[in-house]
Amino acid sequence: MKISRRNFLKGSATTLFLAGFNFPVLANTDKKKNLVVIMLRGGMDGLCAVPIIGDKNFEKKRKDLILDQIIKLNSDFALHPKLKNFHNLWQNNLGAIVHATNIPYTKRSHFDGQNLMETGGHIPYSIKTGWLGRGMKLADLKGDGLALALPMPLLLRGIPSNDNFYPSKKRLPRTEFLQLLKSIYADKSEHELANMMEIIANRSMMNNGGTSMSRKNSSLAHKAGLELKKVNGPRVAVFEVDGFDTHAAQGGVNGSHSDSLIEMDSIFKSLEKALGSEIENTLVLTLTEFGRTIKQNGGRGTEHGYGSAIFMAGGLLKQSQVYSDWPGLKRKELFEGRDLNSTIDARSVYASAMSTVFDIDFKRIQKEVFWGDELQNLSDKLFKA
Amino acid sequence: MKNFYRKVAFGLGPEDKTPSDPLKWATNQLNDIPEFSWKGKILPEKELRKYYRDYVYGDRKVLRKKFKNDKDGYKREKNKLRHTTGQKFWWNLELCIRHSEAIKSETPVLAKLWYFWGNHFAISEKDFLAQYTTGAYQREIIRANMNQNFEKMVQEATVGWSMIHHLDNDQNIGPKSQEAQWAREKGKKKGVNENHARELLELHTVSPDCGYTQEDIIQMAYIMSGWRPKWGKKRLETGDVHFNPDAHEPGTKIVLGKKYKRGRKSLSAVITDLVNHPSCRKFIAMKLCRYLITDNPTKQMMEPIIKAWEKSDGFLPEVHKAAIEVAFNYSDKNYKFQNPENWLLQMSKMSDVNLIPTPKLMDLYSLGQKPTNGQRSLEHLLRELGHHPYLAKQPNGWSDISDDWMSPELLIRRLVYAKEAFYKKSSKSQTPEFYEEMVQKNYDNPNEILQILNQHKELVHKHVILFNLPETLKS
Repeated sequence: MKISRRNFLKGSATTLFLAGFNFPVLANTDKKKNLVVIMLRGGMDGLCAVPIIGDKNFEKKRKDLILDQIIKLNSDFALHPKLKNFHNLWQNNLGAIVHATNIPYTKRSHFDGQNLMETGGHIPYSIKTGWLGRGMKLADLKGDGLALALPMPLLLRGIPSNDNFYPSKKRLPRTEFLQLLKSIYADKSEHELANMMEIIANRSMMNNGGTSMSRKNSSLAHKAGLELKKVNGPRVAVFEVDGFDTHAAQGGVNGSHSDSLIEMDSIFKSLEKALGSEIENTLVLTLTEFGRTIKQNGGRGTEHGYGSAIFMAGGLLKQSQVYSDWPGLKRKELFEGRDLNSTIDARSVYASAMSTVFDIDFKRIQKEVFWGDELQNLSDKLFKA
Repeated sequence: MKNFYRKVAFGLGPEDKTPSDPLKWATNQLNDIPEFSWKGKILPEKELRKYYRDYVYGDRKVLRKKFKNDKDGYKREKNKLRHTTGQKFWWNLELCIRHSEAIKSETPVLAKLWYFWGNHFAISEKDFLAQYTTGAYQREIIRANMNQNFEKMVQEATVGWSMIHHLDNDQNIGPKSQEAQWAREKGKKKGVNENHARELLELHTVSPDCGYTQEDIIQMAYIMSGWRPKWGKKRLETGDVHFNPDAHEPGTKIVLGKKYKRGRKSLSAVITDLVNHPSCRKFIAMKLCRYLITDNPTKQMMEPIIKAWEKSDGFLPEVHKAAIEVAFNYSDKNYKFQNPENWLLQMSKMSDVNLIPTPKLMDLYSLGQKPTNGQRSLEHLLRELGHHPYLAKQPNGWSDISDDWMSPELLIRRLVYAKEAFYKKSSKSQTPEFYEEMVQKNYDNPNEILQILNQHKELVHKHVILFNLPETLKS
């Protein structure tokens, strides 16, 4: 099977310039726009989530992992059958995919890769802030970040006063008690502590009649959706889904990789439901450290690879489409002869998304968040201005 | 001045007498490394590493093959394997040993500095290091060297199995080495992995302030190439660390302008030079001040520590004493936001909360069992507080900057776990008089604090407020 390089994203600088894409088109709307990032830890297998249709190389190398009942997206690509909610979004022009993409990291260590997917840098551990935090700083979005995790993810570092939510298994003290502590802090000129206590006392999402809340991503996403919907609510939310590192029993439709994909899918569903019409002003993106090898291993799993895919959802997408500069799966087309290549720097997608959602010139993001690295402005191709 | 007891240790417990000379009380704790105060079982690192091996071997070489078509069977058997190798138990035992030093030992100041060094030479979350070996590494390599020169601690930490594995030096192969040559003949490429070399410079010794270049890092990686665990079919990556000349980069290397000949001895030679570099003592002095005194240490604070270092050739007891004395001099001026673990230990010590499971309970555990909730309580608690000392996210360890600990959810945890802890107190300590005495003993503004506490009738409220007052959060 041979697919043409349709939906070609890699334009030369000249064509882009002539097309006028490099000029900042900042339609400044008054609408509050939201950006949600779901981190998929362990290495999400783009070829399992969004398989290519009818590629002999693929079928040969993945004999035991080929999925039944795939959902056809177009003539070339399909969707994992368990991603039902994402498929719904897709059918409503609220879902899209960038395929054969990754951060510029090729060494296959989770440890380093996850650090780089969050910092957006090139050398593991050399950068101490996250690309999202730096982008928010540029947009002056102090206090607008919400992490659905206990320690603040590195991704959000770089701007102070982010909120986080990961329900405690114990009951929170009564509001009067919190207010009292707040006033003690204020009396002692501990402004930051007072500010935190204010956030805690006002957080409607904590009060659940005293019973402890689920830490499942689907329920966290529901809470996050309700917060994002508020005019004064956060503008950025970050989730984490674990378990993509399936070295064994990755399996087919009911395998272990599916379990993690289903969890990701549940976030899409809860967010859509809770956001209601505000899904129109929201953009959801996934982020992973690398994809997985094409060839299955002896344990019917897959090893650490390179190119993967990005799921995108929300009303700020232009349309439902698989965007790819497809590199092919013949041996010589593979990265180091074994992995799906990455033809689009994933950071181009993230930089473009921040440009769209935060209303900041792409070039400023490129320069100040990603150190002037060579990235493409895809805002006009992928997103609504 | 009473703040000092909380600043350099965990406050004074109900049994502790107020020292007549606080500074001496603190510095006297720093000369020797006493036996652990934990009375239960303590396993050597080597033995714990065997359990690590049993787990990775069993999973990778046995279960993954056996259950390749059976996801549920694989999960079930893997869970069994976790228990037969003690995966959920060992780190709880290590935390008992660790926390006993803060609460039950005669040397809480030494304990607070032990935590500092464990975090300085952090083994962050990678594979299953935390579950099996990180605690033991901190005992045998970090604490055991706290009465030695800094150099010895660096030498041992650098070639410690945990550190080599943690920072990928097992994958650091000289591009001109014999092994890279063999790989090329098979059409494969092998080369340096700079990770460990970079962290040795940046995090462990001289810090970027010294102005090393990327080339220095690469040269450093060449020097380190070949240091890795002895590989074996059964032991996989868990063998003892040795120097394998086949993977070592030939030729002379230059780091920070100095030449090092090829071979085994070059690593210890370069470490000797690094620890004697002025940037190194400055960096360590800054970090000690940042841990004990303030987010933004001044030159005046660092100066006496650097001097003590120079005078004693980096002898840690002297460096520690100098740092403690600076902390003493600033204890009424600067207050440091305490990380969750140190906060928890402070509360536990001062208000007599029994957090640590008994040696008897821990020694009841036998391999294959699922540890009981009681046996797992510390690990659970630290995780809930957002600060498990063996699970730092990055090789630079847990942050000692206040901002990084300021988040709503993290503060909520202090509220709810202060309350939880109250109910673990002995009944004799559940009286208003107990609190009054504790506040008098441990705070410089007892009347102000007691006035706030006395607005509340219920003791549990007094407790939660006291341990969330700025005076407690910051010491």
